[in-house]
Amino acid sequence: MNPNDDAFPPPPDDAIDALAGEYVLGTLTREARSDVETRLAREPALRAAVQAWEARLHPLVALAEPQEPDPGLWRRIEASLPAQPQPQPQRPAGAMRTGGRAAGWWHNLALWRGLAGAGFMAAAVLAAVLVGRAPPTGPTTTQFLVVLVAPQDKSPGWVVQTAEGGRQLSLIPLGSVTVPGDRALQFWTKADDWGAPVSLGLVTPGQTLTVPLGQLPPMEPNQLFELTLEPSTGSPTGRPTGPIQFIGRAVRVL
Amino acid sequence: MSLTDSFDYEAALAACARGERRALAQIYEREARYLLGVALRIVRERQSAEDVLHDAFIHIWQRARSFDAGRGAGRGWIYSVVRHAALNWARDHAREVPVEADAVAASLDVDALLAHHAGGADAHEVRADLGRLAGCLGQMEPARRECIVLAYLDGCSHGEIAQRTHQPLGTVKSWIQRGLRALRECMA
Repeated sequence: MNPNDDAFPPPPDDAIDALAGEYVLGTLTREARSDVETRLAREPALRAAVQAWEARLHPLVALAEPQEPDPGLWRRIEASLPAQPQPQPQRPAGAMRTGGRAAGWWHNLALWRGLAGAGFMAAAVLAAVLVGRAPPTGPTTTQFLVVLVAPQDKSPGWVVQTAEGGRQLSLIPLGSVTVPGDRALQFWTKADDWGAPVSLGLVTPGQTLTVPLGQLPPMEPNQLFELTLEPSTGSPTGRPTGPIQFIGRAVRVL
Repeated sequence: MSLTDSFDYEAALAACARGERRALAQIYEREARYLLGVALRIVRERQSAEDVLHDAFIHIWQRARSFDAGRGAGRGWIYSVVRHAALNWARDHAREVPVEADAVAASLDVDALLAHHAGGADAHEVRADLGRLAGCLGQMEPARRECIVLAYLDGCSHGEIAQRTHQPLGTVKSWIQRGLRALRECMA
């Protein structure tokens, strides 16, 4: 037995954690959702598990394309506001207007406390999402997740996005990088079955690079992207010659 | 886009609790298009998605008082209010638009996304979470990953996911359970 076992908190109850996960994910039936929302008001373990799942999955909201609301929506909201928020003494469960069912767990203070306290990787700059598009006629829209990270500390540095129906690709900086004056960053990509990486051009630190994909095939899962440090006019050989500064692979999520 | 462009969601919620409508308006101005995007993916019908957003903002206004300004994570709370309102709506109504025929384009404005994740006192944590989640999703089997994303983003039920992925219902349920376990372990 590992003598360090005692140093770790006990694992969450699997049944409670599974229920919390599916509640946050959204796969529960309406009846089961209402049941969870009622239990949240009185079961701290379930609340904690839901809180953890909300925090884990929250970044996925970034995959939903923004939609401009009708210009009248704010006026409609404003017209519905009570003059002042009602004082909220401790209530076991609030009633959500939509559907009128008990759904008040999210005003529980403990539920959200600590979300911001998970201060891991505070120095990490940013990770990102890449979206590719299936042909408009296809029933499924293809979405990729891509993060270009520094190989040493895995800190995210760049994101790649396809546009124009996948015919154009943008490399977008997430922060600033410094490159020695006599050197340049060069952008490369290689799919699994390609013989060699293809140069997508030289990169100006801190600026977005847009590349027409031209003759290149559409992006595919696991396709490699990297930035290498090369002479200021680019690699003399047409292949990467310098150290890798950032690297990542395309991950298909939908 | 500016990485220093930050918005204090907790302070805004505290101002809402004091009855300052301007604060709610600021939250709306900053987040409405993202929140509507989240709601529309789940509700799949624009007018109803706007109704969900309307009700969620009333809820945020009424509940802001219970929010402790010192604890952060106000933004996550706002998104959860909207998402769960949309999920409850979806389970209360038979959505007639299948996810395949969804008119919601999936093209993503990365600049907007970065701006989206750059704001707020919880920005560092959200960014770190996003990086970790991306890594863990990347390690999952693609079929299981798809189940997770379809459920979270499109509000698909087990049955809808089975239909869409052409898998038996039992398989989908077990993939989701195992997928969630794998995510939890990976992100621990």
